[in-house]
Amino acid sequence: MSGEPLNDDRWERAVPVYGFPVVTRFFLGLVVLVVIAFALSGYRELAGLGPVSGMNDAFGWGIWKTFNVMVLTALGSGAFAVGIAAWVFRRKRMFALMRMALLTSFLAYACGLLLLGIDAGRPWNFYWIVFPWKWNMHSPLAEVAICMSIYAMLPLAIENLPPVLERLWYFDSRLRPGVEKIERKLHSVFPWVISLAYLLPGMHQSSLGALMLLAGERVHPLWQTLFLPVLYLGAACFMSFGCVAGTTMLCCLMWKRAMDMDVLAEAARITTCLIGGWLALRILDIAFRGALGTAFHFDRFAGVFWLETVFIAGGGWLLYRSVKTRDPQPMFMGYILSSAGGMLYRFSPTTLAFRPNPEALYFPATIEIVVSLGFIALGVAGFLVAVKRLAILPAPLHAWHDMANYFRFRRPYIRWTGYFQGGYFGSDEPKAAQGD
Amino acid sequence: MAITRRELITSIAKAGVPAAVAVTAGATPALADEHIPVPSAAVGLLYDATICIGCKACVAACAAANDTPPDTRGDDLHQAPSDLNELTRNIIKLYKPTDGSPSSFVKRQCMHCLDPACAAGCPFQALSKDPETGVVSWTAEKCIGCRYCTITCPYHIPRFQWQGFNPRVTKCELCRHRLAQGLKPGCTSVCPTGAVIFGPRTVLLLEAKKRIREHPGRYYQDRVYGEADNGGTQSLYLSHVPFEKLGLPELGQESVPARTLRWQRRFYHYFALPAVLYAGLVQVIRKSVNGHEHELLESEKRTGLRAQL
Repeated sequence: MSGEPLNDDRWERAVPVYGFPVVTRFFLGLVVLVVIAFALSGYRELAGLGPVSGMNDAFGWGIWKTFNVMVLTALGSGAFAVGIAAWVFRRKRMFALMRMALLTSFLAYACGLLLLGIDAGRPWNFYWIVFPWKWNMHSPLAEVAICMSIYAMLPLAIENLPPVLERLWYFDSRLRPGVEKIERKLHSVFPWVISLAYLLPGMHQSSLGALMLLAGERVHPLWQTLFLPVLYLGAACFMSFGCVAGTTMLCCLMWKRAMDMDVLAEAARITTCLIGGWLALRILDIAFRGALGTAFHFDRFAGVFWLETVFIAGGGWLLYRSVKTRDPQPMFMGYILSSAGGMLYRFSPTTLAFRPNPEALYFPATIEIVVSLGFIALGVAGFLVAVKRLAILPAPLHAWHDMANYFRFRRPYIRWTGYFQGGYFGSDEPKAAQGD
Repeated sequence: MAITRRELITSIAKAGVPAAVAVTAGATPALADEHIPVPSAAVGLLYDATICIGCKACVAACAAANDTPPDTRGDDLHQAPSDLNELTRNIIKLYKPTDGSPSSFVKRQCMHCLDPACAAGCPFQALSKDPETGVVSWTAEKCIGCRYCTITCPYHIPRFQWQGFNPRVTKCELCRHRLAQGLKPGCTSVCPTGAVIFGPRTVLLLEAKKRIREHPGRYYQDRVYGEADNGGTQSLYLSHVPFEKLGLPELGQESVPARTLRWQRRFYHYFALPAVLYAGLVQVIRKSVNGHEHELLESEKRTGLRAQL
């Protein structure tokens, strides 16, 4: 790239995390948690929701819906937000983060949908989903349930195919013609698929906000507004940038990868803009509705409001600073803070700022929390397997050659990682192969 | 590649904004969902809190009429549930302020709203309003147990069964099985004082207004709750204490779904706007994909490594 300062750490290629075992103590802990969660889900199907959760008549929705679906799918909207920045607004640097975004999105949505099925009291009736004329087209919940399932099962899954195909391609040369054929087909439908992958999340992430519109006065006036759909969508955008970029930074730290500050600073810049716009809309909306006074009452609602506002604004400010200084530490803190604030915001209308009449309390039961954590663990475990077996994490070009050398000279017996078998690592490959 | 935003906007414009605007904004005054019709044979209840003596005969009769075991979980003896629950479709509650101002009984059951929020939110139409009688009823075969109805109902009526593998949603269905046999609902058939009566909604409204006329100053605001509240309901209330004290919130004349889901409904009307957005996105992204594939080929040449999409 002429004209630009030389960047040795430029992320040019997704490279698997090699040299680390998949099965670690942490991973085994996750697996145990997942097994426990599945066992408890089985118990829930027999006993009903009452014995396993803190849900009651006043709080019909517990953390399975309000946290695992409403909050975590917002964190997992990376495929939507980062994808739009990359494909629609053509921020080319964002392509480096695309595979991370697609993977985190897929895992967040898949785990959320699984838990949604367990949370539903009568899940066997989900088969109505295949009869569109039975849908209540104007119900926000129908929109969410249908749109989310279609999105996770079709466009998002298809978008996640390239790393899998790539691994098959490297795995065995006999598979290559077939893989290339599938890839050509995939490329030809790609614009239609990814357009759908931006339309659907735009629809259901905003409909998640529309869900609480029907609750009317029971949602505290600091949150209840006709702009809830827009605010929910906006929160999903900046939270998912935080999740994708933050996770990538964490992975780079953990597995000692170089960080491309060009890409990260661009992501931080976009996140700062998103946070600024979102905060402006949020405050203006509250002011114009005349609800600003309630923010200065001394109660838990005002507390939650200020907590999330300070988190989001503080995170945004840290990000804004880090764009200039290119310091990864405040940048990471900025992502964490703004995402935490966004999570709080997405959680509030259904739970913290929900005031049932008559007054009632909700606190999740132990089993409820364990199942919720179990389904998060499922996503984390899936992520760990995927980044170690597939080319997901972005890295400088030399990391790819390092990987080739690693498998060739240091651990030549690890054949099943797939990146060694058939031995195609680049143009210098034939020479090296002759030496075998 | 530089004028992306403009390109996005023009592409969307080309793809048919006029059509979408026509459907979304132009047709809005006449949007069918925003006009709340009264069902042709709307029946309902009229409850007069000034007559009710709180004998709870209607609570027992309701359970009997719906083949529900009496809820004696309180003391294993009396049928005395503290609130609506999975065994109780109908309940008599007492409002008794501590400052000595007038107290009142109140009968709570489904309001059978003309534009029910529960049915507006129900994803697969398990809760639906009968187009003739206007009874809002629950269908087990369509319910996925999402409990959205317990959140949307402004009167907090539908109750979910928290125990067991086959949970049901319980709410007053105006004894529709008895109506089909030509019988009155359980609660109105036993009321000794006539505090709750059953009939066509229009007749009940006339009766309520007659009572207000005959007893000036007796009723709160000389108003029938449900005539226009929340877009109109088929269960009507007369009371001498403020309706809010009886658990009937002041929701305004517009129904909750009409007020809150207006833009949602317009946006998804005939799916026009999403379709236009999709067309615009495809236009823009096709160009992006072409450009990106070109770059991938270049990097393939430069690095000698297989391109990654």
